[in-house]
Amino acid sequence: MLPASPRDGLFDNHESIYHSVRTVASDQLAPLANKIDQEGFYPVDVMQSLGSAGAFAAHLDRYGAHFDLAIKNMQSISRYCGSTGFMSWCQDVCGLYMEQSGNSALLSRLDSQAFAHRLGGTGLSNPMKSLTGIETMALHAKPVANGYVVSGTLPWISNIGRDQYFGAIAAVKNQDGSHSHEIFFLMDIDDSVELNKCPQFSGMEGTSTWGVTVQDYFVGDHNVIADPAMPFIKRVRPAFVLLQIGFGLGVIEGAIASCNEVESSLGHVNQFLHNRPNQLQAEFEELHERVMALSSDPYNGDKDYLIDVLDARAQTSELSLKASESALLHQGARGYIMNSDVQRRIREAHFVAIVTPAIKHLRWEMAKLMREELPS
Amino acid sequence: MSAEKAADWQLYICRACGLIYDEAEGDPDSGLAAGTRFADIPEDWECPLCGVTKADFEHFDRPQIALDANTSQLTSFTDAYRGRAVGSAAFCGNGLEDGLVIVGAGTAGWSVAEAVRRHDETVPILLLSSCPANVYHKPELSIAMSRQLDEVSLVRESGQQAAQRLGVTLLSNTSVVGLNPASKQIRTTRGSFQYGKLVLAVGSKPAVPSHLPHSSVWRVNNLEHWSALKNQLSSSASTQKSIAVIGAGMVGCEIAEDLLRAGHHVSMINKDKTPVYPLLPEAAGQRLVTALKSLGLNYFGGQEIAEIIVEDSNQQKLVFVSGETLEVNHIIAATGLATDKRLSRLANVEFKGGYVVDPVTLQTSQPDIYALGDCISINGSACRFIEPIRRQAETIAAQLTEKVAVPYVHSAPVIKLKTRSCKVVIDGEPDKATHWTTVKETEKELLMEQVKGGKVSATLMLLYPNNSDYTSGLA
Repeated sequence: MLPASPRDGLFDNHESIYHSVRTVASDQLAPLANKIDQEGFYPVDVMQSLGSAGAFAAHLDRYGAHFDLAIKNMQSISRYCGSTGFMSWCQDVCGLYMEQSGNSALLSRLDSQAFAHRLGGTGLSNPMKSLTGIETMALHAKPVANGYVVSGTLPWISNIGRDQYFGAIAAVKNQDGSHSHEIFFLMDIDDSVELNKCPQFSGMEGTSTWGVTVQDYFVGDHNVIADPAMPFIKRVRPAFVLLQIGFGLGVIEGAIASCNEVESSLGHVNQFLHNRPNQLQAEFEELHERVMALSSDPYNGDKDYLIDVLDARAQTSELSLKASESALLHQGARGYIMNSDVQRRIREAHFVAIVTPAIKHLRWEMAKLMREELPS
Repeated sequence: MSAEKAADWQLYICRACGLIYDEAEGDPDSGLAAGTRFADIPEDWECPLCGVTKADFEHFDRPQIALDANTSQLTSFTDAYRGRAVGSAAFCGNGLEDGLVIVGAGTAGWSVAEAVRRHDETVPILLLSSCPANVYHKPELSIAMSRQLDEVSLVRESGQQAAQRLGVTLLSNTSVVGLNPASKQIRTTRGSFQYGKLVLAVGSKPAVPSHLPHSSVWRVNNLEHWSALKNQLSSSASTQKSIAVIGAGMVGCEIAEDLLRAGHHVSMINKDKTPVYPLLPEAAGQRLVTALKSLGLNYFGGQEIAEIIVEDSNQQKLVFVSGETLEVNHIIAATGLATDKRLSRLANVEFKGGYVVDPVTLQTSQPDIYALGDCISINGSACRFIEPIRRQAETIAAQLTEKVAVPYVHSAPVIKLKTRSCKVVIDGEPDKATHWTTVKETEKELLMEQVKGGKVSATLMLLYPNNSDYTSGLA
């Protein structure tokens, strides 16, 4: 049975949770992967089975802040279906926002998020880019009695739907039009929230991704994650990026498995390829080891730590691209069939590389962090 | 002058500071017209940068590296995403087939690129630099304000020109963020690369204490920072500024004198009683203070800063530990240098005040990684002088290209302050713990020495120039 409330000791046995999650992923999720990727099937039932197995709770303070296990679970899921791996990250960080808010109203909803009775997303792509100076804020808030009203449109938010929710940030507008600060809140997708259909994507169609438009959406105390938002964002940023690495690691693991799969039949010709599975595996293991070491200290506020996390995230994207392309070359014609795993994984790897933080954003941010500050 | 003759102009390099005397340009500041042959220079002529005499210069071969048109540059290095670096067409079998990556484009980085090219015209070289990688002579920065130099006049060759001349792929404004010695992968803010051999020439950075925030204090450790300061000092209507220099090491003293000569009000705050302590004994330090005071220096010896209060962008208040305060327009920290540990941690390279290298081969604790210049430590201590760099570069290049071995021989460089008001030269191996004995002491001159095991191990000469009109301030 699912725990109805926080329970000590639930995450003491990492191995058993890891195997339960892996089994759900390989048995229930894998057969659905292409339907999810191409036909837009949103695997709510499987997400709930994964949640029951403990896939989305290990990183929470309430369950021991085991970021290593959370990342390994996400990797297992992504190994069999990148779309669901990505939604696992959405689910994980949404839970993280709710818990780190310290808001009792949100904490009372945390377990249903942690064990996937409810599914939630994250709308931080735009604010994260805004924080680092890449673009401007899309949502605007106006102070009113007992809270704020928020208006604006966010383009693409995943793992959401009617009666679900996601973490969002809005810039608070003063009467003179200037911005005073930002607020971070959980947006419950009630009838006042407009969900707009997105154009057809290259893949990852079953991630239940919507455009969201709100007009004077009321945000009261019960939904506030952080006000002001920026100190909170700064604090959770390394954890936010670090967790996402699990999604990419699964894509890499799957790609290497696809290379090895044809080794007995095609090894005699594949030996002439570069990026052979043993080379990919060596880089993957080194990266994995580094990520596991980083995951022991996810709220470390040092600049050096943040650069290490961003570097590992960028390398995950680069290796996903390299490994998925290599898997296609290793498999040859069979990998060119539309519904083959390696063909799907190329689309997944492209998503690993372009989703916020994309390779270009990571490099931009690292370049900024590496620059020495001078007096102005 | 005919073109034929012009092509014949020779170059001579100062062995102490690396300044190059170009016969074509002469040294107009000290009265040597363009076109003055080195042989015609009087023996008492001094290096315009560090003050050693003509005898300390040696002939310098103008880099003559003609590149084969087929030498591949941009295609030599593919990023790790595409796979293995395809490198040079000819498999050289010495570990360089994946190419050489040099990190850092200061004197050390460019020296290695030049030295490797002298031995091997085809090996792919990738030079990574966090700055624009322009070629300039760093020791000039501490005397450039008073000479009215600017960034354009300090740059001898743009990074792009130097890269083209040497057949080097240059990635400027690119920072190294990751390094994996096992897979020989280096990750940067412009992508990841494979290397065959790696040379770290990253220099050192100002070590600024935390109570001196980077947003408030200037550091003069590279051309970009120097230029930003220079622009700031000449930005407003009043060109005369009050400036505090915190720290009184060699660089602090040189900058203070340079700013005084450029017409600014300068205060110097030193935690020790006398400057350049303990390298200079107190008696010598006192004379240096006297010389700087004669130029108008406001000297605070034995004082430390507790905090900085920013009043506006052009006015800051220094609060001393003693409670005294001092209002200035700008603050410069000259509080010493340190090597960034980040790369050594990533590369798992042994670190002890700098990257630990073998004193003969300059190899780090990782077999395919070499290091030179300000970032290294030899026998437990860093050596941040310009003179050894070219020799270090030659040692590394000879090994990498497997040409004749050129073992590095480490020796203490002659230390020379670039303070014109007071000539200070230290030779030998000065030791903080050994007593300095006065050999000669006059109003204009002080000679001291250290003796170890019955032998003179270090000498110190301090001289007020002939045209100075003050005498020593010895108590």
